[in-house]
Amino acid sequence: MINDAASEGPQPAFGADQRQLAAAQFQSANVTLPELWTYYYGIGGNADELALDAYLNGMVELPPLQVNLLHAALKEITADGL
Amino acid sequence: MSEDIEFRESLYSRGRAESLEDFVLQLQDLILDSSDVRDFLTDMAAIIATRLSHGGNHISCGITVIRDKRPITVASSDARARSLDELQNTFGHGPCLTALKSETAVYVPDLAADRRWPKCTTAARGAGISSILAMPMHLRSPAQSVVNLYSPHKHGFSHHGIDAAESLTGTAAKALDIALNIAHLRDARDDLAAALESRTVIDTAIGAIMAQNRCSHDAAFQILVKTSSHRNIKLREVAASIVSSISGEREFPTTYEE
Repeated sequence: MINDAASEGPQPAFGADQRQLAAAQFQSANVTLPELWTYYYGIGGNADELALDAYLNGMVELPPLQVNLLHAALKEITADGL
Repeated sequence: MSEDIEFRESLYSRGRAESLEDFVLQLQDLILDSSDVRDFLTDMAAIIATRLSHGGNHISCGITVIRDKRPITVASSDARARSLDELQNTFGHGPCLTALKSETAVYVPDLAADRRWPKCTTAARGAGISSILAMPMHLRSPAQSVVNLYSPHKHGFSHHGIDAAESLTGTAAKALDIALNIAHLRDARDDLAAALESRTVIDTAIGAIMAQNRCSHDAAFQILVKTSSHRNIKLREVAASIVSSISGEREFPTTYEE
């Protein structure tokens, strides 16, 4: 993830809000963590399931691209009504 | 212990063991034949109802399964059990929900004399039910389940009947555990297969964006993510349209060994 710092996308200042939004979306979605991880992996995500869990619980940061992919996964999986 | 008593006891336990063995065989067939958990539960409810009904005491059986982050699964041997199970779920109270939450059996021998669940008992009596036995199933899977038995008679379950119901429920719980496990693994496998397919298309699109824009892998990925979110189109669909705009291909077969 060498180029993540240079890439565009949401700025780190919104990191905590983004995380809370993701965590809230995950809580209310009818999706288990393994299901979320599998979907996220399917759209190209590279973090493992433990890292997603840790991120959603505020324990670690994820690289910006992985955060964006997690958001995309949550958005798509909830739009599917899974 | 006299010989006579030993003889009678062994006869009794042998008959019961054979009947239980027969039940296990039926359940094994159900697991092999059912396409999903609900099918399995419906057939299992029918078998339990038949096994516990005798003479004029026609027992209806409903089974409720609650899994984390899944809709509640309700299955039943007949329409009467179905509507009574649904009523309790609508009211949010009743002997079956109490059994489910407390993980202990709840027996209401005479609905007319019971004051614990007024709404539920009135509705059940209206449906011609006079006694209810709710037996929770103890599962290893992260799920909760209860078997609800309805009898049209007061005191519809004798001591022997309650024993029989307990023994059937204990055996049924193991079969349900296996069925839940298989369903879980099947779902996980389907999800992974879908993920592999989707990832192939996306990886291909990333390569195309990298070549066109002379950019890094992550920069290409951010372009894809942005496009998807701005147009409100799924990532996978954006990726597929990029690949087909270059190659004309619309199908992206992913081969992997099952």
